Amino acid sequence: MNEQSKVKIKQLPTGVPGLDEILGGGLPEFSFNIIAGSPGCGKTTLAHQFIFANATVERPALYFTVLGEPALKMLRYQQQFTFFDAAKLNNAVRFVNLSQDLVEHGLEGVLEEISRQVEAANPSIVVVDSFRTVLRSELHEGKDMAVQTFVQQLALLLTSWEATTFLIGEYSESEVRDNPVFTVADGLFWLFQQVDRNSVVRKMQIMKLRGQASVPGLHTFRITEAGLQAFSRTLGLLGQRKTFTSVKRLSMGIPALDEMMGGGVPEGDSLLIAGSSGTGKSLIATQFLAAGIRAGEPGIAAVFEERPNEYTARASEFGLDLQTPLAEGSLEVIYLRPLDLSVDEMMQEILDAVKRTGAKRLVIDSLAGFEMALAPAFRADFRESLYRMIFALTAIGITILSTLEMPETFTELLFSSYSISFLTDDIIRMRYVEIDGQLSQIMMVVKMRRGAHSREIRQYQITTEGIVIGERLKNYVDLITGIPQPLAVLRSEDQLLNRKV
Amino acid sequence: MRSADAPTTRELAQRLLTHEGVETGPAITDMQAVCRVCDKLRRPLTTLAGAAGFRSLLARALTLAKQESPVLSAWEVQADGSLQGLNGEAAQSGGVLIAHLIGLMITFIGESLTLRLLHDVWLDLPDSEINFERNESK
Repeated sequence: MNEQSKVKIKQLPTGVPGLDEILGGGLPEFSFNIIAGSPGCGKTTLAHQFIFANATVERPALYFTVLGEPALKMLRYQQQFTFFDAAKLNNAVRFVNLSQDLVEHGLEGVLEEISRQVEAANPSIVVVDSFRTVLRSELHEGKDMAVQTFVQQLALLLTSWEATTFLIGEYSESEVRDNPVFTVADGLFWLFQQVDRNSVVRKMQIMKLRGQASVPGLHTFRITEAGLQAFSRTLGLLGQRKTFTSVKRLSMGIPALDEMMGGGVPEGDSLLIAGSSGTGKSLIATQFLAAGIRAGEPGIAAVFEERPNEYTARASEFGLDLQTPLAEGSLEVIYLRPLDLSVDEMMQEILDAVKRTGAKRLVIDSLAGFEMALAPAFRADFRESLYRMIFALTAIGITILSTLEMPETFTELLFSSYSISFLTDDIIRMRYVEIDGQLSQIMMVVKMRRGAHSREIRQYQITTEGIVIGERLKNYVDLITGIPQPLAVLRSEDQLLNRKV
Repeated sequence: MRSADAPTTRELAQRLLTHEGVETGPAITDMQAVCRVCDKLRRPLTTLAGAAGFRSLLARALTLAKQESPVLSAWEVQADGSLQGLNGEAAQSGGVLIAHLIGLMITFIGESLTLRLLHDVWLDLPDSEINFERNESK
């Protein structure tokens, strides 16, 4: 069938930020949908967001309540959300109680009353809450209509009357099979609430959506005073990979380091700065951001251990003015509340900040802090989530610098923990070494995916002017173990051994 | 203070009763006016809470009203949500019952939505009559 002869399915906005993207553009008009999940997971709120976003006086929403939460209490709680519009009540959004019809006349009575109301109101949206209670067998036992017939007739009625429908029910996943409701449904939204240690995370899955491709998998969502906000696993960025015709190098703000990196970090790369505590990783990150601001490239710092003002105050100790760009809007410091975060929320925050600032550079300081800020349930997926995040952000041309605290060992050189080096294009390693009875610091560029780089191991110092990189340490071996040996000593030992031989 | 105790709620209840009296003509008794207001509130409250929910709300309102006006002691809410045992002497206190019923609505859904529902029921009453502001002219 050619494109012109295909029926075009209109997509309705769900009113839930992030959900339209997960659905592949919005909710198909006239679809017959189920919102399922355990108590308290946000089913009713999701339905309310949808009706308040779409219902009009001409094409209202009919909200049928059955034996679950009465509309009186629903109104009490739903009006607390900012999407609730009292002006729509009783004209664009109308509640109908079906309890009596169900108890007295069973499924037939319910279907009759829904038909009567639908024909009278000409609604664009119909919600039945809770549909599960409608179908409970004890309520219609001995009455004429079978559940399957009821569901089919209801779907037929509501679709014929051009209504987009939501049936809300407290179902468990084991009920999906062999249940006529799920067979008839065009869309199946499953909301989960998972408890892990002391935190609760909410996730949703679009298990079925006829007519269009939704983003598969579990997506996190949060319920705030604005209602549900969903975070797509991909944030719609996977298909948008930005291609660079030539590799532009971004300055790190430290000329000697730019030189070691072959001219700076390639635009759109993910750079990892790994080192133990106090080696100056955060300072490099700050200098990287400051260099960007000087070059007219807005930046974002995602920090987990200090607040924005503390962050800029620390930068000023090294002569870096981040307060002005922060005030002017070319820099944003994102400080996220710790302990119950999801990577997807973090990504959403960053993407919103990218849109606001036009940022080209992003600092994540640090990955350990980021991991700690995640709800325990998300920590298990940290590596996979980080991969998605880095891939998605670099795809839109953001250059990412992440810092990573490494345990210092004096027998080996780890390039990074978490096995995340494969996620990064470039790695700089900083570490302590003992030289002439003093603790010194060395730095090396370990990996540059898109070009040649210096192989030198350079000493550096942290000064009030920032990182100052010194010369290559030519007169030592085993520098990367942290306990180097002076070449002169080794030579004399060799000579001694040779003489003995 | 309960919402029903607010002078503005009392005034609103009284205005609704007066309106029903005027609407129906001089022959209507206070008792009938109370019944008419309750009946008119039955529709939106049944929609929002079901028939049983309406009955529960009316019964609760009557219990609160009886504590305040013992003359209402003979009044009962029947299974179908209608009032029984109304007597002429107590009907003068009918406004207390209506105020408590409106007070319960305010408790559950707030002033704004309560007013909206009342407006939808008494479409013929001007906005100035259905509000919680004190009407000094009356």
